[in-house]
Amino acid sequence: MEWWIWPIALFVATFAMGIVAVLAGVGGGVLFVPIVSAFFPFHLDFVRAAGLMVALTSALSAAPTLLSNGLANLRLAMPLALVGSITSIVGALVGLALPTQAVQVALGLAILAIALVMWRSGRSEHPHVRRPDALSSALGMHGVYHDPALGREVGWQVHRTPLGLVVFGAIGVLAGLFGLGAGWANVPALNLLMGAPLKLSVGTSGFILSVVDTSAAWVYLNRGAVLPIVVVPSLLGVMLGARVGARLLPRTPAHIVKRLVLAVLVLAGARSLLKGFGI
Amino acid sequence: MREHEIYARWLAAGTRIAFAVLLATFLVYMLGLLEPLVSPRELARLWALPADKFVAATGAPTGWRWLGFLGKGDYLNFIGVAALASISIVCYARMIPTLPKLQARLAAIQVAVLLVAAVL
Repeated sequence: MEWWIWPIALFVATFAMGIVAVLAGVGGGVLFVPIVSAFFPFHLDFVRAAGLMVALTSALSAAPTLLSNGLANLRLAMPLALVGSITSIVGALVGLALPTQAVQVALGLAILAIALVMWRSGRSEHPHVRRPDALSSALGMHGVYHDPALGREVGWQVHRTPLGLVVFGAIGVLAGLFGLGAGWANVPALNLLMGAPLKLSVGTSGFILSVVDTSAAWVYLNRGAVLPIVVVPSLLGVMLGARVGARLLPRTPAHIVKRLVLAVLVLAGARSLLKGFGI
Repeated sequence: MREHEIYARWLAAGTRIAFAVLLATFLVYMLGLLEPLVSPRELARLWALPADKFVAATGAPTGWRWLGFLGKGDYLNFIGVAALASISIVCYARMIPTLPKLQARLAAIQVAVLLVAAVL
């Protein structure tokens, strides 16, 4: 097959991913690595590096608005992003050192686990936090944001911060190891574990992702794992697709799209497992 | 809060510039205006290799050695890629003077971690 077909196919596939990601309320980064590694000829190293760049650029593009609107909070994000960015370096180094087949099998298992988390995890608009823990108080992880839907200021505080730091450490390892965007894990960790309001969790998750993926992306870049012919069409596709997705959002039934995403993830996870076992 | 505004402003400008550079350099690459280190046809034979074997087969630069290959169409794109990966470092560093002492220390450690990642 001619070489130029692949970047065009990549652009078309990632454009569709960008649309679906917005409609299903998931990050494009979580779809990219499973789908591209399963159905395109690029080595997993290049796909993971491109996956990090896709997740990073999407997060960087969204963060200014979220920060300006108060829906991403720096005091909440900074300690968690710091831990995640350290462990994502470890994840990236381990991922590049392990044999490809081992990473492929682990990726397959991780994708199936992500599908399960997405299917099972609940959400809580305004979790009740009776008392903030000592660490969150010391780090100033509390505040007020304006909720446009409620039309009022909403106060928030968090608890279980030490456990939250451990969880974000684990999320960082996964992000670096597999090149996955980690919104699927960040949001439940902030919302259900630490008790941050849902909207603040979603906004802050994107900010954390932009920092965590930055450190892992540098590791891949320095190891020669970045191919512009994979990265640039993917970035363009996902970002343009996300714009179209945002326009389609008001008239699309989200639950149907979410089921479609779960089905695709299960398919891609199974394909990754089979590839890992050489089948 | 002031730090949010500063971070948001620098991030928005940085992302816009980096993305524009990436698109412009990719156009140069795809139009063949600068000869690439690895031609696209050759690349299609090699992109199924792991990164270390690809580097060994092509002599592709690792670390910051890509700076010496900016005359090549493919590695010219690394300016935009590196810019995207540097934005958070710049924004954190810019925000430090506006933060209270504890948060400023956290931000300084974060900058150090990202710089370590950039040279690993």
